[in-house]
Amino acid sequence: MGLEDINWALIAPLIIVEMILLAVALIDLIRIEETNGPKWVWAVICIFISLIGPVLYFIFGRRQ
Amino acid sequence: MQWSVIFKKEMVEYVRNVKWIWVPIVFLIFGIMDLITTYYLPKIIESVGGMPEGAQVNIPTPAPEQAFFMSIGEYGTMGILIIALVSMGLIAGELKSGVYELVLSKPVKYSNYVTAKWAALSTLILTSLFIGLLAGWYYANILYGDVSFGTFIGTFLIYSIYILFFITISVFVNTWFKRPGMVLFVSLLFIILVNIITSIFGHYLTWSPGHLSSYLNGYIHTGNVTGDLWGTLATTLFLIVILLFSAVTVLKNKEM
Repeated sequence: MGLEDINWALIAPLIIVEMILLAVALIDLIRIEETNGPKWVWAVICIFISLIGPVLYFIFGRRQ
Repeated sequence: MQWSVIFKKEMVEYVRNVKWIWVPIVFLIFGIMDLITTYYLPKIIESVGGMPEGAQVNIPTPAPEQAFFMSIGEYGTMGILIIALVSMGLIAGELKSGVYELVLSKPVKYSNYVTAKWAALSTLILTSLFIGLLAGWYYANILYGDVSFGTFIGTFLIYSIYILFFITISVFVNTWFKRPGMVLFVSLLFIILVNIITSIFGHYLTWSPGHLSSYLNGYIHTGNVTGDLWGTLATTLFLIVILLFSAVTVLKNKEM
């Protein structure tokens, strides 16, 4: 599939929103004092698993 | 007065633990992901390859209404899971950490405590659902064809009753256990049971909440609110009230 076949105007919002989610997760990760488990592991999970990674962090990583 | 204090405290907490950012974003992604993947599916299959020479890939393009309903399908599974995960510590977490005793050592009414928390969670989830469905409706219009704005509003109103039903189940189960994991498990079991019972005895229980999404599918296609749909909405609202009452009662009689 050639890249020119894709209508980027359609997909761009999806990518931007996912980027925002990732950014929010990482900023929160830096500012928070303590997480469940090591911080760098959560950073890796957030960056390498798109969508699910940040969600997992928000639900399980933040200490309530 | 007291009610709004608890409600506001809950809202501040949602802002602090960034739920007001990530829950709407996740619902937004759920709303549009299926629409986009289905739209590009033929191209994806083509580019992945592995098809024998001359094979024809015929994937019918869904009708606009069908496409819009895909968003609902996503909320019926992934959405429910996210709601269960978000709400599993709502009261159970406070029971466990002792915040609950702290709150109720002041003269706080149980009913205020439960309903304020329920309302706060509902506000968060329903706002997210609205944003997600709106995005889904927008994409269905762009990629597949016209779905009227009225249909979108109707769909949102009807489906939010089902979502409220699940939120209420989760709040109710929250009053039983101290362990959030247990709440997650039991509330999911609850909604699965409702759906299984509906699919077995569906002929008799025509007003069961489990029918809501299939009736909703009919509504999206025809635009008519049938008698069965009204009945189902009424039953579901009735069950929501009953569950909230029971949640208050269970919490009142709980030995700490």
